Amino acid sequence: MRLLLVEDDAMIGTAAQQGLRQEGHAVDWVRDGREAEAAAANGVYDLLLLDLGLPRKDGLAVLRSLRAKGLQVPVLIITARDAVSDRVAGLDAGADDYLVKPFDLDELAARVRAVLRRQSGRATATLRVGELEIDTAARQVRWKGRDVPLSGREYALLEALADRPGAFLTRSQLEERLYGWDDEIASNAVEVHVHALRRKLDPSIIRNVRGMGYSLVKGA
Amino acid sequence: MSIRRRLLVWLLAAVLAGGLVAAGVVFFQARSEANDLFDYQLRQLALTLRDRSYTPSQFAQVLQGEEALDFAIQVWGPDGTELYESHPQLRVPGAVQLGFSTGEGADGQWRIFAIQQRGLTIQVAQPMAVRSQLAFDAALRTLLPFLVALPLMGLLIWRLVGQEMQVLESTARAVARRTPESLEPIATRAVPDEIQPLVIALNGLLARLGGALSGQRQFIADAAHELRTPLTALKLQLQLAERARDAGEREKAHAMLGEGIARAVRLVEQLLALARLDPDAPAKRDAIDLAVLARAAVQAQAARAADAGLALEAEAPDPVPIDGDRGALETLLDNLVDNALRYTPAGRVAVRARREGRGAVLEVEDTGPSIAPGERQRVFDRFYRGESAPTGGTGLGLAIVKRIAERHGAIVELLDGADGKGLRVRVSFP
Repeated sequence: MRLLLVEDDAMIGTAAQQGLRQEGHAVDWVRDGREAEAAAANGVYDLLLLDLGLPRKDGLAVLRSLRAKGLQVPVLIITARDAVSDRVAGLDAGADDYLVKPFDLDELAARVRAVLRRQSGRATATLRVGELEIDTAARQVRWKGRDVPLSGREYALLEALADRPGAFLTRSQLEERLYGWDDEIASNAVEVHVHALRRKLDPSIIRNVRGMGYSLVKGA
Repeated sequence: MSIRRRLLVWLLAAVLAGGLVAAGVVFFQARSEANDLFDYQLRQLALTLRDRSYTPSQFAQVLQGEEALDFAIQVWGPDGTELYESHPQLRVPGAVQLGFSTGEGADGQWRIFAIQQRGLTIQVAQPMAVRSQLAFDAALRTLLPFLVALPLMGLLIWRLVGQEMQVLESTARAVARRTPESLEPIATRAVPDEIQPLVIALNGLLARLGGALSGQRQFIADAAHELRTPLTALKLQLQLAERARDAGEREKAHAMLGEGIARAVRLVEQLLALARLDPDAPAKRDAIDLAVLARAAVQAQAARAADAGLALEAEAPDPVPIDGDRGALETLLDNLVDNALRYTPAGRVAVRARREGRGAVLEVEDTGPSIAPGERQRVFDRFYRGESAPTGGTGLGLAIVKRIAERHGAIVELLDGADGKGLRVRVSFP
């Protein structure tokens, strides 16, 4: 999944970005409110991690203006403001979850998963599409009852497709989900990962239609 | 002893003393008047007896039955034989001299008037005790109202003072009700004028106390909040180090963790420095040379400046003696130089000390990005960090500088550097 991290502290930002990347997310990081607004406006993000005490524009103001523009992207607030009134204000301004600093990387990752899951209408951490079973918490994939080890990007691509089985995602959409700003993208990266998935799972599991993109076959 | 009891005792003692003085005055006045009056009577009686030219035998007749008379009358013949004595049972002193005299009789003092007529000596005498008794009675009559009034006054004083003291008691209760959470001023409306200065002084103390308390609370809240950021970073950095899958990742994570710890340590040190600079604590006064301090600060940070590729120079050729707190001024310079090095990407940092008029000036000038004029006041606020603040700062440096300057009566100004570039921090000592 592609996340936008909004955090003004360099150390926290670096560490959180790195930790979330290890979870297989593509993470872009901006340091102030105005940059956050500009970055979020393009709509490529699956989730916003928003600090509140930001330079140039406060996090709550950013959140309100995003919601006012009709952006539905899930928002997880990460802040040192722990008063109940702050939490209420944050959630009421349109946040989906609220995490108080200092937080745990594992908890952050779990909350990110939970928010993403709710966004896609699932209640559990496990995704099932036919014989395919994806444990999004452990990031493990089972095919016909046996574990299939996948690389981080392969997993991210599969999860993106499994999120809405049958629906098509274009190559550029998949690239946006898989890669952050800093990542170098080879021109055939998506094809390479799709090829690997077909080899490891089943050649017919991912369909490719010219002009439409890629989709996971529902009945596979 | 309570004020009530003390007032009672002293007021009653004063009333009693007043009564006694009045009685004494009355006593002496009355005796003096009685003396005049009775002397006159003595004399009149003697003259009457003389003018009547009684023969000695006639005296007895005339004065027969006058034994109740206050006066003792004696008559002597020319040869000194006693011809008549009205009160033989009284031993009146004998004739000593003509005119008035006071003589000592067996029963006390007598007032005597003697006169001569055709060889007869007529003496009229009266006991002095009569006069004293009269004066004493008058004095007693004067004292009596005081004595009667004394218990009444005592009661009145006791009750009135008690009533007035209730204001004190209610004020005391009002003070007792104050807690660190509620330090609102005590009402001065119902308080008598004498106690008002106390209540007003108390209210002043309460206000100062409240200010200091809320300042402390705010500081602790701010400090706790500010500690969250480095602690969050530390927690994340530690977890990354734990998750590291190979030596390279681990080394990188440990380096980040080290930076995080250094930042947390610096923040705690700065918080401590600020806490030690309690505005109410008296500043130490050592005789120090700012030029020496400036050179020492440059020396201490020389290695760091060299690492950052910055020229760090002291410009303090002449001694600049002032009275001040050495440790605090070292902290001030350390913070200013630290800031200058932190914010200056390239160029030079100059530390100057010089005399100016009767005062002294410390200056730290850099060639960094300066601070926008609109931000120059706010950067002195605790935990305020500028928009472009580099990472690792605590937001406390300039707050500490300002606090130290204030304790020395010095003024901190943020000015443009030479030819409008960079920042020049100027600390002017009086």
